[in-house]
Amino acid sequence: MIYQGKQKIWADYQKEIPDDHWFYVRSCIRQNFFPASEVTMLKIFREMLGKDMYETPHHTTCGGIAYHNECIPQETQMAIIARQFALMTEAGYENYTCSCITSFGLYCETIETWHEMPEVLERTRENLWKACRREFNIPKYLAHTSDLVFKFRKEIGALAKYRLVNKDTGEPLRVVEHIGCHYAKMFPSKGVGGAEYPYVLVGMAEEWGGNVIDYPERRHCCGFGFRQYLVRANRGYSVSNTHKKFESMEPFHPDFIVTNCPGCPYFLDRWQYVIAEQTGKTYGGNGQGIPVLTYEEMAGLVLGLDPWDIGMQVHQIAVEPLLDKIGIEYDESKKYEGTGGKPLPEPEFPAAIRCC
Amino acid sequence: MGKLYDRLARDIRIKEWLKACMNCGVCVSVCPAAEFYNYSPKNIVNIVQSQDDEQIEALLKSDTIWYCGECMSCMTRCPRKNAAGQIIMALRSLSIEMGYFAESEKGRQQLVLQRALCGNILNYGYCIYPRTFNYEDHPESGTIGKWLGNNLEEVHSRLGSNLEHDGPGVLRKIPKESLDELKSIFDVTGATARMEKVEEVSRRKAEEMGLDMDEYSKRAFTYAGKGHTHE
Amino acid sequence: MAKDNVVVIGGGPCGIEVSRNLRDMGYTPILLEQQSELGGHLRQWDRLFPEGVDARKVLKELTSDLRGVKWFTDATIDSIKKSRKGYTVNVDSGMTFESKAVILTTGFKLFPAEKKEEYGYNIYERVITNADLEEYFRTRKDSRIQDPKTIGFVHCVGSRDEKACNRQCSKVCCATAVKQASEIKELFPEATVYCFYMDLRMFGRSYEDMYLNAQKKYGVRFIRGRVSEVSEDIDGKLFVKAEDTLLGKPMKMKMDLLVLMTGIIPGESTAQYSEMLGIERGEDGFFAPKDTILEPCRTKDAGLFIAGTCTGPKTLPETLSEARATAIQVHNFLSK
Repeated sequence: MIYQGKQKIWADYQKEIPDDHWFYVRSCIRQNFFPASEVTMLKIFREMLGKDMYETPHHTTCGGIAYHNECIPQETQMAIIARQFALMTEAGYENYTCSCITSFGLYCETIETWHEMPEVLERTRENLWKACRREFNIPKYLAHTSDLVFKFRKEIGALAKYRLVNKDTGEPLRVVEHIGCHYAKMFPSKGVGGAEYPYVLVGMAEEWGGNVIDYPERRHCCGFGFRQYLVRANRGYSVSNTHKKFESMEPFHPDFIVTNCPGCPYFLDRWQYVIAEQTGKTYGGNGQGIPVLTYEEMAGLVLGLDPWDIGMQVHQIAVEPLLDKIGIEYDESKKYEGTGGKPLPEPEFPAAIRCC
Repeated sequence: MGKLYDRLARDIRIKEWLKACMNCGVCVSVCPAAEFYNYSPKNIVNIVQSQDDEQIEALLKSDTIWYCGECMSCMTRCPRKNAAGQIIMALRSLSIEMGYFAESEKGRQQLVLQRALCGNILNYGYCIYPRTFNYEDHPESGTIGKWLGNNLEEVHSRLGSNLEHDGPGVLRKIPKESLDELKSIFDVTGATARMEKVEEVSRRKAEEMGLDMDEYSKRAFTYAGKGHTHE
Repeated sequence: MAKDNVVVIGGGPCGIEVSRNLRDMGYTPILLEQQSELGGHLRQWDRLFPEGVDARKVLKELTSDLRGVKWFTDATIDSIKKSRKGYTVNVDSGMTFESKAVILTTGFKLFPAEKKEEYGYNIYERVITNADLEEYFRTRKDSRIQDPKTIGFVHCVGSRDEKACNRQCSKVCCATAVKQASEIKELFPEATVYCFYMDLRMFGRSYEDMYLNAQKKYGVRFIRGRVSEVSEDIDGKLFVKAEDTLLGKPMKMKMDLLVLMTGIIPGESTAQYSEMLGIERGEDGFFAPKDTILEPCRTKDAGLFIAGTCTGPKTLPETLSEARATAIQVHNFLSK
């Protein structure tokens, strides 16, 4: 692997990312499965970096999952997006950031379509006005929240209490980075680093001491597949794709996986459980699987936030081996507690994969 | 050039993403659906390109167009700047509009998806919502998924969520005015019409198959026949 | 015939041949070459298709008799200005030439393989280009080539590719691939060699014979499908994804060596001269002649000529023919 070759490509795919005053919209999947990730994101940006990340309670889903399941036509999708932009305009912002990768892809695609076909933009304006009397500007800058964390990786690194380094061996941790398909596959120039060697997560991991490893199926989809997962009859597709990725990364012995899409970590996390239950096989060598992190969790961990505050307990694959490797202190007894230390019943533990 | 192709060609996604396929096979070799299903994005684009109504109609009634996972890996690499994934979306939309989706096993799943997702959007303002994400339908969400479902308010509160409360925050209660606006958007832009269409076509198909709607919908969610994958 | 100066810009095979022919007709060609040697890309090749003629011999022949040609290497053009009598050409060394006619034979550039990112050139060690392989054939030195057992040739790298911003076919890479596939099989007889092609352009005389030979004598396997992605396994070997479109089967194959057939794109200076002299360019970036069929070497300025690969991909014999034809056209123009 000739690292400098990748560096040249990264240099070609720079993206202009403003450093403040963002209109922030949430991700359905992230809120459902990694709720503390968004809490952590805002904590880092608002409290630690002093940034203006504005959220209006009136914003909704972008509708992307429904759109990609053909439940709503493209016109509806565009109008929902237009409404979100109208809320941004009303609040006086021109920088738009979203937490979901499907959203990000859809926003890029919609803006591109409006650019290529002004009549479609006109029609969307008419539709939005007719539906809810709103008008909108197109954002001046559009970024995914992982772009923002990437942009401030040095500042976060400066505040970091931990490094992505094995505390016993001193070696950088071996990091697998997984980029959501809709981040750069549709419009490579919209992603930091492009579509083939995206840099957004690599930059973070390397800045914080880790070593990113490449493996043959790195660019492969995690297998969400929208209806291929949401409908039970189709789930074979979804798990097969994740399985393919794990088989490919296994010889490279990753210490953990980090992703920027909210759906991907759900699949990379939970399908390991399913593969273990169905085939008895686990990855990672210790019978516990390979921990999967969102980039907010990775940032939160290096900053020394408590793992249970940032939501690591709602992962199926045990994160403790990773915490131990880094030397992060945590109180195992508090893992499954509720607010204020309230004891909650513990989850059942699966048969085929050790979760503690 | 026939009627069906004309209708298809009006879709923005066809206008933007169907240039001309030269059968290079790049899309097929990176397509996850091509690996696991009897599926070839290239063949689909060729059928559309042929503008042959008979073939297109057969396609719209088949399982084939429902195999795509919409990862858009095909879009990145196509040397003619086609996007098979986008063309598939246009085909799916047309299949639904024409009511052809109910002719295929995978197409019939549309009812289940629509009820779940549109229901979530209109009732809560989210595509996925914990109150409607049942563990029984998602055992793959793991023992942790089950635990989360059983302790939803507690866990969310502990993690700093604003579950079902006013104001900004994770899984906040989205104000009724906003949900009303979404409904209005649905009405104006054709989503409501599509929902009604899917219900109506599914109802007729269920009748034809001798199933009541519960049975029909359960079957759509759980049943996977033979012949979808490479044997 | 007066010994008029005629400036020829670009000292590759085309420029050399134009100059020799003009010299034979009694002119004084001023041949200006940017690099430190004459010969252009021909200096980099080992053997030429279809017969495997030694490129060094051809180059030697072309440059064997340049008496009467005033040739300069390491000469970069600063400016070319229209004058009353024709053109004033200023070279960076301080030289200035007056010429009634100027001939641009500025040649081509190979598509930079690293721009086709998914193929991993300069990222994965075992990925090389057609030019790298010719160099290896000449020198037998390349650390990336270590007794390869499975070798792949990727056609159409940077050609017929909107994503690479080059819609054109580069014409000669298919023949080069078939040639190189046969030649590498001679060096590594135990290896299995694959060519991943789109359409096999065997348009020239004896090319089909070369193709047949590649299959029969060397067992080269031809797979109709464009390579979509290259990645590296833990042992450093390459995974190559393509579809065998004739069988309708997506495949993932492991290779020890991958050769990227990079295409012919306009040279660096083409855009520059186009601006400087008002020569039109096609959508593909090459110079656009006055008439592609009847006057392929003329521009809208009667005294400005264009020849060789600066007007599009060509084989070497085609280039040399065009050079001779251009010399006659120049002579006819100067004789008026």
